[in-house]
Amino acid sequence: MIESFREAFGRALVELGKENPNIVVLDADVKSSTKTAYFERAFPERFIQVGISEQDIVSTAAGLAVAGKIPVVSAFAAFLMRAWEQIRNTIARDNLNVKLVPTHSGFSDHMDGSSHQCLEDIALMRVLPNMTVVVPADAPSVPVLLRQVIELEGPVYMRLGRDHAPRVYERPGLELGKASVLRKGSDVLLVATGVMVSVALEAARKLEERGISAGVIDMHTIKPLDEETLLRLASRVELVITLEEHSIYGGLGGAVAEVLSEKMPKRLIRIGTTKFGRSSRDYFALLERYGLTAENVVRRIGEVLV
Amino acid sequence: MSEVLEPKTKLQSMLRPVNNFHLESSETCLEILSAILEEKREDDVVILSKGHSAPAFYVILHGMGLLSDEELYSFADIDGLPSHVIRGLPFIEVSSGSLGQGLSVGNGIAMAKRIDGEKGYVYVILGDGELDEGQVWEAAMTASHHGLDRVIAIVDRNYFQLTGGTEEILSKEPLADKWRAFGWEVIEVPNRREELRKALETARGIRGRPKVIIARWEV
Repeated sequence: MIESFREAFGRALVELGKENPNIVVLDADVKSSTKTAYFERAFPERFIQVGISEQDIVSTAAGLAVAGKIPVVSAFAAFLMRAWEQIRNTIARDNLNVKLVPTHSGFSDHMDGSSHQCLEDIALMRVLPNMTVVVPADAPSVPVLLRQVIELEGPVYMRLGRDHAPRVYERPGLELGKASVLRKGSDVLLVATGVMVSVALEAARKLEERGISAGVIDMHTIKPLDEETLLRLASRVELVITLEEHSIYGGLGGAVAEVLSEKMPKRLIRIGTTKFGRSSRDYFALLERYGLTAENVVRRIGEVLV
Repeated sequence: MSEVLEPKTKLQSMLRPVNNFHLESSETCLEILSAILEEKREDDVVILSKGHSAPAFYVILHGMGLLSDEELYSFADIDGLPSHVIRGLPFIEVSSGSLGQGLSVGNGIAMAKRIDGEKGYVYVILGDGELDEGQVWEAAMTASHHGLDRVIAIVDRNYFQLTGGTEEILSKEPLADKWRAFGWEVIEVPNRREELRKALETARGIRGRPKVIIARWEV
């Protein structure tokens, strides 16, 4: 079943808004794209429009947090990054309770092309002290994780795609900071995040047909990384593969590489991008072009396991 | 020794061991900070967006008995007073040091107060060099669009920035017209405590739009 990340976000935000009167939503003139327009309709007095100004939106949210609100900032991931320094100096440095929930990350804004596709944000957010980094795998994960993000005291970056959200969970019992083990395996371990979790599951099934036993974990919280689960499962296999709709530098692959090389040296393949994106009428054509498919995962593993 | 001279002398002796760190931008901020902290009431908030004037802020705190001599002279030492203000110091709600962000933060605080039906003003101290940052003007638009009349910005109009005069580096004039064009009420006064206090009182009496006080430095 294919659902939409932003639809799930927009609806979840309204539900949480009913329960928690401290939630305030800020928009940089993209409410119809991020689906925060649903929140505006439900709670107009707690919806703040600042126009197309990502730096202002981030610092305004900081002020709301200082005054005791739980501000949720939603914008396109690529353009929220122009406020990275504001996020660093005003939100992360003071450990302010601001929730950054961008949509359109990865290649998901396929039509708009390289300017709008965001393949660096996990790396940029992960380096900031105090910042928690969360990437839901599918639409049902969004309300479950968003609730915990709101309840957590401190800054959080929760990365969402646009529409393509293949169903991974029926009833996700996810816990922030705890990796979700979807499949056990004895030969290889696939560590995936976001939409790539569904790709990892598909790859695991293909590997099984070839007699290769693959474990799959959904690393929905990239920071703090659940090292315990990672190391426990990695210890049983000879190869670890990370999958992300992001640069292989500094994102999930970087985080896993850091842990493994320090604590359990292990052969690692990072699957992700090393280039900027491009425009495409078709999202899947982009995933194919950048090697983010189950077939490519199987092929890469085959090159190592001979 | 006059009230003005005393903090100035203190500032100079405090900054001598650190190569006169931001001495000038601190000097021109002394009267502004002193006027605002005198006017500040319990539910008001002060944002020192020009965080480079932290030394002036410490001297004023010292004058109020909130910092000891020893603390004052620990300025910029590893465990001493930070060179730019950080959250946790008296009156400081957000860390600064990076220019251009304070007005947005002030708007956010004013919006939260409005949602909660709380009173209180938000005073945001800006440098004139800081006005080069585009974010200040983003925030200026946000404040006027939302009619944030509890936001009062004070521009330390000292006509210099890091490497030269403001009009040589990036001209600010006609400064008052710029703020007016952005929907703000503008009050221009000489940078002297009594004039500033009167200007703050006037600003508080104006409803419906944000206010800016341009505090002109006169040599």
